[in-house]
Amino acid sequence: MAPDQTNLLQGTLHIMILKALALGELHGLGVSRRIEQITKGTFQVKPGSLFPALHRMEEEGWLESHWGESENNRRAKYYNLTGAGRRQLEAETKRWRRIALAITRTLETS
Amino acid sequence: MAFARMKSLLRNLLHKQREERELDKEVRAHELLLADENIRAGMNPEEARRQARLELGGVEQVKEQVREIRAGHLLEMLVRDVHYAARMMRRSPAFTTTAVLTLALGIGANTAVFSVVNAVLLRPLPYPDSDRLVQMWSTNPKANRWGMWTAYPRFEDWRRENTVFEEMATARTWVISIKGGDHPESLFGVITSSQLLQLLRVQPMLGRGFLPEEDQPGHDHVIILSYGLWQRRFGSDRAVIGRTVDVDQQNYTVIGVMPSDFRFPPELPASYRVDAWLPPAPDPSRNERGSNNYYTFARLKPGVTLAQAQAEMDAINGGLAEKHFEDRELGVKVVGWRRQVGSEVRPALLILVGAISLVLLIACANVANLLLARGAMRQREAALRQALGAGRARLIRQFLTESLLLAVFGGAVGLLLAYQGVDLFIRLAPDIPRLNETTIDPHVLIFSVVLTLGTALIFGIAPALQGSSTDLQDSLKESGSRLTLGSMRARARSVLVVAEMALALMLLAGAGLLVRSFARVQQVDLGFNPKNLLTAFVMLPPSKYPEPRRQALFFREVVDRIASLPGVECAGGADSAPMLTNDTGPVSIEGHPVEPEIQAERPKITPDYFRAMGIRLLRGRTFTWADSEGSLPVAIISESAARQYWPDEDAMGKRVKLEDGSAPVWRQVIGIVGDVRQDSVVEAARPEVYAPLLQVPVPYLALAVRTRAGPTALTVAVRHAVMEVDKDQPLTGIKTMEQVVEDSVAGRRFQMTLLAVFATIALGLAGIGIYGLMSYTVNQRTHEIGIRMTLGAKPGEILHLVVRHGMMLAIVGVVLGTVGALLLTRFLSSMLYGVGTNDPTTLLSVATLLIGVAALASYIPARRAMRVDPMVALRYE
Repeated sequence: MAPDQTNLLQGTLHIMILKALALGELHGLGVSRRIEQITKGTFQVKPGSLFPALHRMEEEGWLESHWGESENNRRAKYYNLTGAGRRQLEAETKRWRRIALAITRTLETS
Repeated sequence: MAFARMKSLLRNLLHKQREERELDKEVRAHELLLADENIRAGMNPEEARRQARLELGGVEQVKEQVREIRAGHLLEMLVRDVHYAARMMRRSPAFTTTAVLTLALGIGANTAVFSVVNAVLLRPLPYPDSDRLVQMWSTNPKANRWGMWTAYPRFEDWRRENTVFEEMATARTWVISIKGGDHPESLFGVITSSQLLQLLRVQPMLGRGFLPEEDQPGHDHVIILSYGLWQRRFGSDRAVIGRTVDVDQQNYTVIGVMPSDFRFPPELPASYRVDAWLPPAPDPSRNERGSNNYYTFARLKPGVTLAQAQAEMDAINGGLAEKHFEDRELGVKVVGWRRQVGSEVRPALLILVGAISLVLLIACANVANLLLARGAMRQREAALRQALGAGRARLIRQFLTESLLLAVFGGAVGLLLAYQGVDLFIRLAPDIPRLNETTIDPHVLIFSVVLTLGTALIFGIAPALQGSSTDLQDSLKESGSRLTLGSMRARARSVLVVAEMALALMLLAGAGLLVRSFARVQQVDLGFNPKNLLTAFVMLPPSKYPEPRRQALFFREVVDRIASLPGVECAGGADSAPMLTNDTGPVSIEGHPVEPEIQAERPKITPDYFRAMGIRLLRGRTFTWADSEGSLPVAIISESAARQYWPDEDAMGKRVKLEDGSAPVWRQVIGIVGDVRQDSVVEAARPEVYAPLLQVPVPYLALAVRTRAGPTALTVAVRHAVMEVDKDQPLTGIKTMEQVVEDSVAGRRFQMTLLAVFATIALGLAGIGIYGLMSYTVNQRTHEIGIRMTLGAKPGEILHLVVRHGMMLAIVGVVLGTVGALLLTRFLSSMLYGVGTNDPTTLLSVATLLIGVAALASYIPARRAMRVDPMVALRYE
């Protein structure tokens, strides 16, 4: 996989995870289901990319985690946004809007 | 953020196990949550769990993917890979030892050769700011001579008139005799103009350097001692400064002592030690504009380029050529000094570098082959690791780490070998300028580290690619793999073996050519007989023997005394003797008045010289003591002189004149002698015009003493015979003529020996390579061989089958190698003598040798194949 493509996808995944967690803490499966829900099924996040992303973001200090009980009494690891995470979400949102706008404009000019 | 990553890095490294447990729990919980979801969606529990596993895509794979993004992952992987690689190495000690030793040999030999190249060609000269030091040659384009030395008066003009050099100086070697104590001692001195030390920017350890006026008459009886001489002869006495010593029977004042590490001239091989430096006072030729005896060098002013210096020197030289008759055909060439010092040995060293690189390549091919063979055995392991979530990149990294570790061990052992090898090299090598400066310095270390890493890549890449490209299904099923990957691997190994064969053939061809050349050199007819011949030099101090007549009479008495010694057959002397000394210069031929100067060798000899040397008299007579001052001026010429000077006439009775500053008289040719190899064994004979010593006296003679038995036994007696005539007269450079001849081919012998050693190593490695491949093939094909035998194949046929396979590889290798050799051997042309670079005999013999070795190496595994028991082989699966 070409490196810039990875970055783009990873960046996209990061912003979606940040957004999903902005509404409250979730475990891994919850994050993945929330993203499906928000994007109306466009993005399905597989565990193979979800968990590396969660751990990476935790290492960056954007997320924190703790063990908790799930709805049907299973132990699960829950993720929360940190202050740094919220700031990251804001910054990413701005950046993304800028890019989206630029791309839209590019596509509209003909 | 960076801080957060750092914290994670520490956590990952310190609490690895806890992190691992957490990760495992998290992923398993995820699987259970997925299953719960499926149950809620209405699946039965079993189906729900199955679907959950499918969606997850394998707990281990997910965990591996998480690990890969973790901080410190790379470091951790590296540590783990190294651990793992070390374990693999320990587990197969035979493999490891073979690979490490092979690599050590290759890397060590390359490091050793590089350290020599570094010292001789690359390292700056041992003086401060030496990159601005240049050397100046006189040239004579008309006579096609480009590397002549310079006359002292000419140097003085250059120095006075130039504006491009900070300083210019000149020097020549000079033998002086020093008195004191009970025996006279001959010293190896260098006479130099007074700017030497300022120019080199070197300070004496004691005392001072020369003052500017100290190369002028009246001020020039001063001397600077070497550290060695100061210790040996003056007992390291610091009060030696200002003391008077007797040099050539004249008083000289000691003004300085040089430090022990000072070397000048820099290209003087280690076996010569300079004892003292002094002004040109003792040299009678320093005022002669025609005597090009001085070696001139200079320091460029900052900012001045070589080309600018050359341009100005050309201009100065143009002016001198108009003013002075002696300069009219001379040019000048300015060259970088360091380059100049290494220029003679450069081609030979570069050939060694090329040869030793080929050896390293063969070593790499061999280790790659070993790794490929092992890769076959480790196929299941690789597949298992892949099943556990390791990606292909991960496996390649693992394999490369193993290669790297092998290379590092090989490099470390190789460095030890290089230390030893360099010593051996220096001990065995002929005189090479600056060779004694060879050390394993930081440049050499960097070289060997880079070489080690590069080596690991070269031999590791193919096995890594192959080892990682396992098809999971096939490998786990074991038997299926035999046919697919096994044959791919066998092809890669065949290519490597063919390459080894080809490289080995190139080396063998090179070595073969040198060996044949050397054999030719040994057969050269020298024109004289070096057996039972003792040689030595006598140099009379002009201050004590100012009168030419007395010089000649001294020598007459010396050779007479020596000839009467028991054990001596006869004795003679010449101021120019083959491979010992020269007096090259112009002669005139009567009847060829307009002929340009003809350069000839002009030995002044005693009557018995020809007999002592074993030079054949072809016509006429030799000189006698009666050929002296009063009698008819005579000359004897060599065969090639006769042929060149009087191509269509009989030379006997014709007349020649020596243009050497002696009395300009026509000398009648009274004899013709055989040619001698004057300059070296391999250089063609030049015309020689001999004159009797009593008619042309010289202060310097090389003695030739023909003995009945071992000449070295007479050393003391000969020395005494000289001292009986003059108790203060030392004898120097006592050597047997056989030694002199041997010295003149020592470089050639050394080059040949090294290349032969390299080629032998290459042959051995290639043999091992083909042996390894054939053994492996036989093992792989045991089953097939069993079937063939069951179907009625005879053991002989099986033998044939295997050996033919080996032979095919060898022949392809030999053909490719021959093409390579035809392309490469022309670089050897300057080292060859009497054989062409494409000598068919040599190529044919080395090809035969290589094929023979390959046949032997295939025969051993083939015999094993022949003894395969069909029943066992078939059950082998």
